[in-house]
Amino acid sequence: MQRNGITPFHGFGIGLRPPHYEDFLAAPARVDFVEVISENFMVDGGRPLDILHRVRDRHAVALHGVSMNIGAVDGVDVAYIRRLRQLADRIDPLWVSDHLCWTGVDGFNSHDLLPLPYTEEALALVCANLDRVQDALGRPLLMENPSTYVAFDGARMSEPEFLAAMCSRTGCQLLLDVNNIYVSATNHDLSTDTWLDELPWQHVRQVHLAGHSQGEHMLIDTHDAPVPRSVWELYAKACARMGPVATMIERDDHIPPLVELLAELDMARDIAFVATASRREHAA
Amino acid sequence: MNLRDLQRSFVTNLLGAGASPPGASMEGMSVYAHAYHSQLLTCLRDTHAKTREWIGEEAFDKAGKAYVSVHRPHSWSLDDYGDGFASYLGEEWPDDPDVGELAWLDWTLRRAFSGPDATPVAMASLTDVHWDDAVLTFAPTLRWRYVRSNVAALWRALDEETSPPMAAPGSVPPALRVWRHGFSTRFASMSAIEAACLDLATMGASFGEVCRDLAARVGEEEAASGAGSMLGDWLREGVVTAVR
Repeated sequence: MQRNGITPFHGFGIGLRPPHYEDFLAAPARVDFVEVISENFMVDGGRPLDILHRVRDRHAVALHGVSMNIGAVDGVDVAYIRRLRQLADRIDPLWVSDHLCWTGVDGFNSHDLLPLPYTEEALALVCANLDRVQDALGRPLLMENPSTYVAFDGARMSEPEFLAAMCSRTGCQLLLDVNNIYVSATNHDLSTDTWLDELPWQHVRQVHLAGHSQGEHMLIDTHDAPVPRSVWELYAKACARMGPVATMIERDDHIPPLVELLAELDMARDIAFVATASRREHAA
Repeated sequence: MNLRDLQRSFVTNLLGAGASPPGASMEGMSVYAHAYHSQLLTCLRDTHAKTREWIGEEAFDKAGKAYVSVHRPHSWSLDDYGDGFASYLGEEWPDDPDVGELAWLDWTLRRAFSGPDATPVAMASLTDVHWDDAVLTFAPTLRWRYVRSNVAALWRALDEETSPPMAAPGSVPPALRVWRHGFSTRFASMSAIEAACLDLATMGASFGEVCRDLAARVGEEEAASGAGSMLGDWLREGVVTAVR
């Protein structure tokens, strides 16, 4: 099946969440796009779908999923993919994304983004699943690097190496979550600079920015706080390497008024502008 | 360890049994275990808000944790988790039917919220209907059940933050229906007679058959006015989406 490419898009957006529905319905918001959680709209009907259609009339929309289970040893759920395709056909999104992870096995679903071992076996499985999903959706996917709290014996690749091989083999692209890099690198005592050095930057099509919290033993990807300085600094480094890439603020808990998220988004705009200045000067 | 065995080992540990997969730290695995259990409990709290308010946070969380410990999610949709929690609460509180019935109402309203869309039948389109043969199609979100408690009044009182009414014995409407009209989820109490008629009609009986069944229960005279009143309610409230 033909897979259409992804149209270049470099705007700034936020994750659209229920507390801001009325703001978005009242007037166009000062964003270039919104991202929605796909599963929240993979429903039969009702107000959620109506709201999404009305927002879509005003804004570009990216679909971001949490349940694809691309690391499933049993293969991806065909019914899930069919439902996702229906939504994508309705919304005509900028792109469709999900996470490099698995969510369950033997019919069990944890509803969490569980970590994969970065082995050749896992890579082959993920690539086979990605091929099937991309064919079924008729479009390339964006895959997001996860926050992880464990690593496994026997891993032969770093996460960026795994991502690079996955993109190279399947044609998928990357949704780079800068907060997840910081969280995972800190939890596994890795260097974020090394992480950035190994990334296949040419495949990055979108960036997530979010906050995290300090757990008892490690950092937890909670999306419940403003983007911290550590993540802004890493974002500046990423911008210098990748140039303009669609960027959004992701907030899922303790959601503030829209105006506060838009202020954070302005900060992202400023950082991206400054960090990419040298690239523009070089190009000129 | 191959990938399938690693994932099985991970899940076993997540559910509280078995060692961590090779190389995975206990501290890291505890993060996943905590996220799993807390997310499912949060889901139950979210989908059964009035029930939580009625029985209190402590009792609800105790029941929710017990439910999570034995009910594993299988659907890709987190929205599906909790289908069965109302029955579970009903079994846990056998002498307090309001608890399980309130949970059923919470759950059914939530399902109706994002259930299939349907347009109520327009009154103006019914002028030439031959009612004896007419078969009604109902909103796809319509669900109903018999109840033993004053759950409808209880839910409304909780919603309006007023004092829940005392249920006088014998005064409680014995059935309840839930549906969505446009984007508005609704519920209404029903008499036993209306519940029996709705049961027949949703199984595909013609309106004439429903009326004859009603007449056998209450007599011809009362059935004539009762059936018309009942049909009028169903049409006005958007419960009926087609008449053929």
